[in-house]
Amino acid sequence: MAIALPPPQPPASVSATLTETDVRVTSGFRGAKISVYGAVFDPSGRPSDVVVVVRGPVQPVRIARKVRVGGVWLNSRPVVFEGAPGFYRAASTRPLGDIARFGQLRKLGLGLDHLAIAAPAERRVETRYGVRDMVVSALGADYYAWRAAVVRLKQTAGLYSADAGGVAFVDRGLFHARVDLPAQAPIGQYTARVILFQDGRPVSDRTLPLKVEKVGMERALYLFAHQRPWSYGLVSALIALCAGWAASRAFRRS
Amino acid sequence: MDLYLPIAEMSVNAPLLIALGAVVGFISGLFGIGGGFLMTPVLVFMGIPPAVAVASLSSHVAASSFSSVTAYSRRRMVDFRMGGILAGGGIVGAFFGVEAFRVLRLLGQADLVVAVSYLLFLGVIGALMLWESLGTILRRRRGETPQPRRDRRPILLYALPWKMRFPKSRLYISVIPPIVLGVFVGVLSAIMGVGGGFILVPAMVYLLRMPASVVVGTSLFQIVITTALTSVLQAGRNQTVDIVLATLLLVGGVLGAQLGARASARFRAEELRALLALVVLLVGLRMGLGLFIQPDDPFVLVSGVG
Repeated sequence: MAIALPPPQPPASVSATLTETDVRVTSGFRGAKISVYGAVFDPSGRPSDVVVVVRGPVQPVRIARKVRVGGVWLNSRPVVFEGAPGFYRAASTRPLGDIARFGQLRKLGLGLDHLAIAAPAERRVETRYGVRDMVVSALGADYYAWRAAVVRLKQTAGLYSADAGGVAFVDRGLFHARVDLPAQAPIGQYTARVILFQDGRPVSDRTLPLKVEKVGMERALYLFAHQRPWSYGLVSALIALCAGWAASRAFRRS
Repeated sequence: MDLYLPIAEMSVNAPLLIALGAVVGFISGLFGIGGGFLMTPVLVFMGIPPAVAVASLSSHVAASSFSSVTAYSRRRMVDFRMGGILAGGGIVGAFFGVEAFRVLRLLGQADLVVAVSYLLFLGVIGALMLWESLGTILRRRRGETPQPRRDRRPILLYALPWKMRFPKSRLYISVIPPIVLGVFVGVLSAIMGVGGGFILVPAMVYLLRMPASVVVGTSLFQIVITTALTSVLQAGRNQTVDIVLATLLLVGGVLGAQLGARASARFRAEELRALLALVVLLVGLRMGLGLFIQPDDPFVLVSGVG
């Protein structure tokens, strides 16, 4: 007796788009509100979860710990964490811990607890940035306190966030997530990764590019400052002196 | 109205910064100081990266000092020869200061050095100045004649070689003390983001024994040269001068400085000194407090990734 096999189902998939792929930073820039819209295609209608992760350009983080020496609070030697994104936001339909297991989240680097940042684990004292005897990592047991501090400080600065409920299904299979870029978000190439989870496993994902760039005046000034620093310095000093002179002339007449 | 700063990479409230520049400019014109020691802490408190604040300020200080030095020079209250020698030392000091600040930033100790310098220099100078000026005020109230200076010819000024005449200040002294003073102020100017007027003014009065009438104008003249150079060096070496930030501050600053220079004529010198001493002392203590109270968060992000 043959068992009637169910017809082979096409695998579930996700597709998504950003309302803005090019954030232009002008003099009036006060942050940007970007929406991610997407749809889950799954004929079987299994329960789906969607995670949207927006990452900014990677920027090494330097962090120091305040230590008390003779009644005075001093900075310890700074520790460099590599691989930290300049901006990170993880939005999901449910708390990440309910969507997938620890190992899975760790592998994909989903959520603030699983961000792939590291102060290269082995103890090394080396010359960096022209400074001798810099500790790159010698944290030992305190490592997790340091790592948590990086995330906490970035969260306080409004650059890292996690929102378990930031992705909402607005209609059958259709979802929406909002990403607010603060004004202090770094300039550079971002990626928005949209991952569809079913039964705790990622079944489909999309990566969308997002660019944050200075345009017009801001860009011109930034490039001027970095490409011709000495002329830039002379110009800024001249502006200062001219302004001072102009003000004193104006007041002399009045 | 918010404005995005291209180098600091954040947005700030433009009218607030202009007003801040005006207030500090007024104080600058009133006391003959750059006013940077007030501005740096406020900017850092507003969330502007300290390195950018310190560097951009030099340009604001140069502008407001230039605005008031012209007012002083019209009234013939600037000793250009003395100012030039101080500035010569200041230029050398600024080079060292900018380099030192760069290394400190990379070591993550810039905050510490800034806080200690504020506590030490502002605290000591504020306290000394307050003590001296209050004494003068009290003696005048009681109708006593001002105490004659005990040592009219300090050995420091007269025993050293390379003497030079300073007709405006009515001095004939060695150029070594002014040069050393200039170097010292130049280093501080780069590290603390200040013009150094709060050190120059008392040093010129008490160490160089310059007449009070030319002290303020001469100090401003020296500050203009040192800070203009510091801002070029900071831009060239560290790329931390934010021209938009500097312009916002100096728009208010130059106007405030003019008003301050006018207002200064209405006060007695020792009353002004007492007031300045109080401001200096309070800022120094406030900045130094951070060294002693337990921080909210034991960790801090350090700027300056090379």
